[in-house]
Amino acid sequence: MSQIETSAAEGVAPILRLRGVGRRFGGVHAVRGVDMDVRAGERRAVLGPNGAGKTTLFNVIAGEFPPTEGSVELFGVDVTNKPARARVPLGVTRTFQISRLFAGMTVADNLYVSIIGAEGGHLRSFRTAQDRAFHGQAREIGDRVGLGAVLDEVVGTLSHGEQRQLEIGMALAGGPKLMMLDEPAAGLARAERVKLTEMLLGFDRSITIILIEHDMDVALTVAEHVTMMHDGRIVAEGTPTEIRGNQLVHDLYLGKGHGNDE
Amino acid sequence: MISARLHWLIGIGIVIVAAVLPFVFSNFTTSQILTRALILGLAAASLIFLASLGGWVSLAQLGLYGVAGFTVGNLVQADGGAKVFAMDIWLASLLALVVTVLVGLLIGVIASRSEGIYFLMITLAFGVIIKLLFEKATDLSGFGGINQIIQPAVLGSAQLDPERIYWVCLAICVLVYLGIRYFAHTPFGLAFQGIRDNTPRMRALGYNVTLIRTVAFGIAAFIAGLAGVLNVWWNTQISPGTIDIGPVIFLLMIAIIGGLYRIEGAWVGALIYVILDNRLRSVDLVGERVATALGIVFLLIVLLSPGGVMGIYKSLASRWRRSRSESGAARDGDGTAAPTVAGD
Amino acid sequence: MNIRNKRWGWLSATLLIIIIGIVAAACGGSDSSSADTAAADTAAADTAAVETAAAAPEKKIVMGFLSNCEGPFGPFWDATLAGYYTALVQFAGATPVDPADPKAGVTGAMVPGTEIPIEINTDYGCSDDKADKALSEAKRLVEQEGVNILIGPLSGDEGIAVANYAKTQPDVTFLNGISGAQDTTLKVQAPNFFRFFTDGAQWTAGLGAYAYNVLGWRTAVTIGDDYSFPYTQTAGFVSEFCSLGGKVTDRIWPALGETDYSSYIAKLPNDVDGFFLDVGGTGTVQFVNQYTEVNGNDSLQGKVMGGAFISNPAIIKELGSKVEGVVAGSALPSDATDANWTTYVDAITAAFPDQAGNAANIFLAGYYNNTQAAILGLGAVGGNIDDAAAFQSAIAGVEISTGVGPVTVDGNRNAVGANYVVQVSDKGATTLFTVPDVDQSFGGAFSADTPNPDRDNPKCVAGNPPPWAASITK
Repeated sequence: MSQIETSAAEGVAPILRLRGVGRRFGGVHAVRGVDMDVRAGERRAVLGPNGAGKTTLFNVIAGEFPPTEGSVELFGVDVTNKPARARVPLGVTRTFQISRLFAGMTVADNLYVSIIGAEGGHLRSFRTAQDRAFHGQAREIGDRVGLGAVLDEVVGTLSHGEQRQLEIGMALAGGPKLMMLDEPAAGLARAERVKLTEMLLGFDRSITIILIEHDMDVALTVAEHVTMMHDGRIVAEGTPTEIRGNQLVHDLYLGKGHGNDE
Repeated sequence: MISARLHWLIGIGIVIVAAVLPFVFSNFTTSQILTRALILGLAAASLIFLASLGGWVSLAQLGLYGVAGFTVGNLVQADGGAKVFAMDIWLASLLALVVTVLVGLLIGVIASRSEGIYFLMITLAFGVIIKLLFEKATDLSGFGGINQIIQPAVLGSAQLDPERIYWVCLAICVLVYLGIRYFAHTPFGLAFQGIRDNTPRMRALGYNVTLIRTVAFGIAAFIAGLAGVLNVWWNTQISPGTIDIGPVIFLLMIAIIGGLYRIEGAWVGALIYVILDNRLRSVDLVGERVATALGIVFLLIVLLSPGGVMGIYKSLASRWRRSRSESGAARDGDGTAAPTVAGD
Repeated sequence: MNIRNKRWGWLSATLLIIIIGIVAAACGGSDSSSADTAAADTAAADTAAVETAAAAPEKKIVMGFLSNCEGPFGPFWDATLAGYYTALVQFAGATPVDPADPKAGVTGAMVPGTEIPIEINTDYGCSDDKADKALSEAKRLVEQEGVNILIGPLSGDEGIAVANYAKTQPDVTFLNGISGAQDTTLKVQAPNFFRFFTDGAQWTAGLGAYAYNVLGWRTAVTIGDDYSFPYTQTAGFVSEFCSLGGKVTDRIWPALGETDYSSYIAKLPNDVDGFFLDVGGTGTVQFVNQYTEVNGNDSLQGKVMGGAFISNPAIIKELGSKVEGVVAGSALPSDATDANWTTYVDAITAAFPDQAGNAANIFLAGYYNNTQAAILGLGAVGGNIDDAAAFQSAIAGVEISTGVGPVTVDGNRNAVGANYVVQVSDKGATTLFTVPDVDQSFGGAFSADTPNPDRDNPKCVAGNPPPWAASITK
């Protein structure tokens, strides 16, 4: 089924287009020569061993820093040298491999800040009627990612699992068209991973998802298209089934132990 | 809910009690203890505003306070000021606030890219630069400071009607306090706190971190400027010594004594400082070592509670609550958790 | 909303009560004590009325003291106290509590010629060289402690602030400690603020004329720390030197605490006749050493004049022959043996033997002079200060006897008195000559309308030399 949809989308221009993207950090070439097209509605997993350059690639796409070579195009707009704040309004949101939350604020406020981030009006120092709607929306998203019971708790007091859920909630709160998830399952217990997988599968197709994941069960269940990276380059692409059968992938990655990336 | 309402009632109660204090105390106490505490508290509030919401400890706030005071002194006809403008005191005060905010924004642009100890050092440098500027430019700071700065007529005489300036200070402090509390829950206020907690996430969420920080610094400058204007209204005098490094440290001490993460701590700290400063000088034993004695009190408070007096209060509060209700305490912080500005 | 933040309730109340308790304890105490004072006051007045029927003074005399116990001048705290109390011992018949420790105070001070006690407030005003602090301490003493004669403060900016404050307290009489800014009396002109010790500019009186008339200087360069006190001292020299026709070719103001003068020295013209040097601390040593390193060991001999800093024996000892013949202005002689000086030193020795060595310390002398003026003023009105204006005009008329002879005040209530020009040799400083009757205006060069002394003022203008200049000749 996923195959059909992917091919159906083939005629449409990709919402993310990378051409020859590379990024150096001093002498280290963390990413090089990456070409990638992601189409609307796609579920894409980016796999690879530690240090393969997956998170660097994410940061380049999200605008954390610009690539040192190549170009990044989002929704048909060249954003290569634009900062993250120019990409968020286009509908790009992300999560972080290590939770980056506002520890001193409540869950609801974390989500609310995420909504305002995408909505604009960042210097508004008065509350309007619209804010009530945003607050409602924040609580609703909180419910959706399973945090309904702890909406008014300060984030610093949440469990690790809850913090990972909030990571996704914050990416969702921006009303994304493209959501980039950096190891959402990191550090989760088995039962939590199952719940996470269900949640990811339940997302609307209007949201395109790119996923970095070490947990093969999660990644290969959610994704319908897999990009395999090694040493900063793309070394294989294909469906989950193809990737499972790829000997190179086995040698590089599946055969080795998992751990925290980069 | 009941608790929140009670909180409001108590807040109103504090303000009412504060408002009648001039009838209870002598003119000297009203002016030299209470008004001084309100003004220093307001200056400390600008520091705590940045510390609690932005996670920034700024040592430039007293410098900004001085910018406001010196600007007023130079714009009105005062002894030692520039004298060429001879403006109305209200207009001069308004312009002083504008100048202070502009200077604050300028410092903000430069300082907003740094954090922690670097931010502390940069703001300290600005504080010192401002002090040196006024010290060297005797055209702007007079020979022995600017003296005889006129007060707004409505305030009457500083000697005979000390309660008027006190009430003005009280009203402004209440407004600033409520304003900061309100601000903390606006999009801007939350964004500023978000940057404190996690700057990369804020960038990823689409926020212009530098801009937000700069403008927030401008707001803090406005609060410091208000305190600076009130100070010259009250003291009718300002000199470079007002913003020297010693007073800068004392302002930081006030903020820390009160509690760096609670806006109300600003006035608690200021009151404690002013009373100690006044009373310690009357004690024969410490008469010549006031700074040392203040330092010891400061150390005791900080050792007793890193969160200052408000921190002591807060941990008492949670202990009291825990003993009151054994259940539902699971998620409670013990008062030492992440900094947070009180929600209402 | 944050749940943790909701639990304000009760504890806010507790906190409020605690705070109010602190305020009440802190301020209430003083309130009740002042009420007690008032009651005692009335009682005393009643008794007095019974005893002497007619013109018994209503107002108790409370004398307060304001100096620096912290900051750069903190070390002079004891010296200022010694000056204050020596005057009370010598002129008000008081007895030191502990001759080894001025701060222990005195007992039994009375208005001369009467049995009226002078109450000495021992909650001393303790400032730290900052105008703010001096002001708040002055307010505390006057408004909280009930002081009606205040002696102090110590430094320039403080003096200006306190003199301005004096205007708002006409019933209180203020006498300067040792603050030396011209403005305090020249410009502020508070009718109830007196200074019975010369100001910073007066301390260099005689130097300009000596340089021009005796040493034959025609050009000079001034070097001073970049703040108000050296500005004032330099102003005295510049005004006098220029009035006779001398030229000041450059004024150099290194930052206070500067130790490297090489860049300034490099810019100095070689053909200048002499230098007026007014840098404090080790600055003088650094400057002279660096100058002579470049220009030769004897390059400054006979070419240096200085203000208050340079006649410091430690500095002279350090520099030795390099500054041989250096001439300095001084408000006090260091080698005097005349009757005035002996009487003054004896008075200190009698009260506080350990402080006798500080006789030539201006901090002690300043407080001594002004306290004495207050006591003599009290004597002149028979201890009745009910009419503050009458008391103040009595003070304006007194002539105090000091180590340098009699001192009176002018119309701005600023001292008119002798100044000294001393010469330093390897044996120490010796007085070259005395400049009598130095007044604040330098013969009209300084007035309420002239700009404050600063980096560029006063301008170097010829004409109208001060009255004493003509008598200073070879």
